[in-house]
Amino acid sequence: MKLSDLAQVIRSKNAGPRRLTLDIMFGSDADYQRVVQSPALGADAIGRLYHVPANRVTIIAYPAGRAIKIVMAREVMAGDPGDRDVYGAQQHAPLLGIEI
Amino acid sequence: MSASGRIIAEFRRAPRPIRLLGASGQLGYGIPATSFRAGIERGPDLIGCDMGSIDIGPTYLGKGEMATSPEATRRDLRRVLIAARGLDVPLVIGTAGSAGAGPHLDATLVVLRDIARADGLRFRMAVMRADIPRPALLEAVRSGMVESFDGMPALTEEEVVEAAHIVGQMGMGPFRKAIEADVDVIVAGRACDTAIFASLPVVLGFPTGLAMHAAKIIECGSLCCVPGGRDPILAELDQDGFVLESMNPERRATPASVAAHSLYEQSDPFTVNEPDGTLDLTHARYEVVDDRRARVSGATWRDTLHPTIKLEGARKIGERAVLLCGSADPRFIDQCKVLLPKVADLVQSLVCEEQPVDYTLRFRVYGIDGVRMVVPENEPPPGEVFIMGECIAPTRERASEVVRTCKQFLLHFGYPGRLSTAGNIAFPFTPPEVSLGPAYRFNVYHLLHVDNTDALFPVEVESV
Repeated sequence: MKLSDLAQVIRSKNAGPRRLTLDIMFGSDADYQRVVQSPALGADAIGRLYHVPANRVTIIAYPAGRAIKIVMAREVMAGDPGDRDVYGAQQHAPLLGIEI
Repeated sequence: MSASGRIIAEFRRAPRPIRLLGASGQLGYGIPATSFRAGIERGPDLIGCDMGSIDIGPTYLGKGEMATSPEATRRDLRRVLIAARGLDVPLVIGTAGSAGAGPHLDATLVVLRDIARADGLRFRMAVMRADIPRPALLEAVRSGMVESFDGMPALTEEEVVEAAHIVGQMGMGPFRKAIEADVDVIVAGRACDTAIFASLPVVLGFPTGLAMHAAKIIECGSLCCVPGGRDPILAELDQDGFVLESMNPERRATPASVAAHSLYEQSDPFTVNEPDGTLDLTHARYEVVDDRRARVSGATWRDTLHPTIKLEGARKIGERAVLLCGSADPRFIDQCKVLLPKVADLVQSLVCEEQPVDYTLRFRVYGIDGVRMVVPENEPPPGEVFIMGECIAPTRERASEVVRTCKQFLLHFGYPGRLSTAGNIAFPFTPPEVSLGPAYRFNVYHLLHVDNTDALFPVEVESV
């Protein structure tokens, strides 16, 4: 099943101008549990997806919000020449098709 | 006695829960009238509004301009000012004018004084500037008191000198001083959004952790609700927790929605670092009150022994001009990632005949890689693309020269297999070149170690 079929929210945003944070939120504990244990959401897999070394990807499980947070460095600081997304609000697309 | 003095005296006489109204997460984009009125009818003890953030990028900070329109900003400020004076409660505004530097703060003060004059209001106003004095900052750089974080290069004296504006995010200290100075209105330059709401309850003796957690949530309006939105939100804080309620009856604060809000624009949902300490949400609890309200408790606060102020500065990097055009030719689209650099080379050969290469020219091809930082391989080509050429050059004239030359040679550039020999691109309108004015980048995003965070942000009081 695709992540976009399981999650209620899949979003990205800056956490400060030098970091990107991606939140995946679920409508039920069962969906959250199913995904949070999947290696498809590990630092290695996410790093490959975003072309970022795995050691620069942080994955945080947040059961109180039935959510998984991913944090990584932005390649280009927000607003620097060459930036494509100053708020970082449209960098979630690579997550949508992850197979769980 | 002014509003803050009155509230302090009232709570000293008879302690009770305090009601904080988060009027707007970004003042100047309109405050919904119905839900704001509902909030005022609940008799809040404080009305707070955040006016900005660093998210909007470096240009507003660099240029000293607001992101919001003057008309909408004035309308919103008038709405909250008249309501606060009507209730005689403090109005607290943080990160004045979008980026919180001197010009932003001054522009906000001009509007507030103007509203006071037009509406016949009188009040005492505390003003806190967030601009960091350059000589002191240069000395701090030299003595190793400025630290890099998030992979930012070390701050140099040159960057300090070249920055158009440098601000520091003030924490609760200056707000507490302002509240204790018996005022009606508090206007801060760049400030932590939490300080807007947490400072009054902390002055009144409420637990700092709970006050900060409530502040962190309500500074975004009703964003913590389902469905989330920008309506005002009320937090009622007691000694053990706080209850959240959106002032729009369609928005529900549920334990899950409020808990999830701790993720928003944060790199860590469990800890929030502030100038004077750390908010720890590890043991936060979120409970149902009823269908529309959630109660939150359990947040704790640790003071730090090593206070730091987050610095933000922006430096001008040139003048920006863009070219706006599109293509629906499959052969051009197929080859455009190869063709565009060739056009750029041709442009350079023309505009640099007698001048050095003093500009940058970039293309973003929307439909292919205009938005995404990573593009999967073997994607099918789109039926049409939008192309934005962007030049940053030393002068407005030079940037314009580059994009105008680029427009002509992109239109007529020949390539193998070309069928559409009358032109490669479509213009939505002409002229398709637009001068966007000065361009900036963040050149300061560092931590300043200080002994006393308050000394940087003196509180001035004026009668309006």
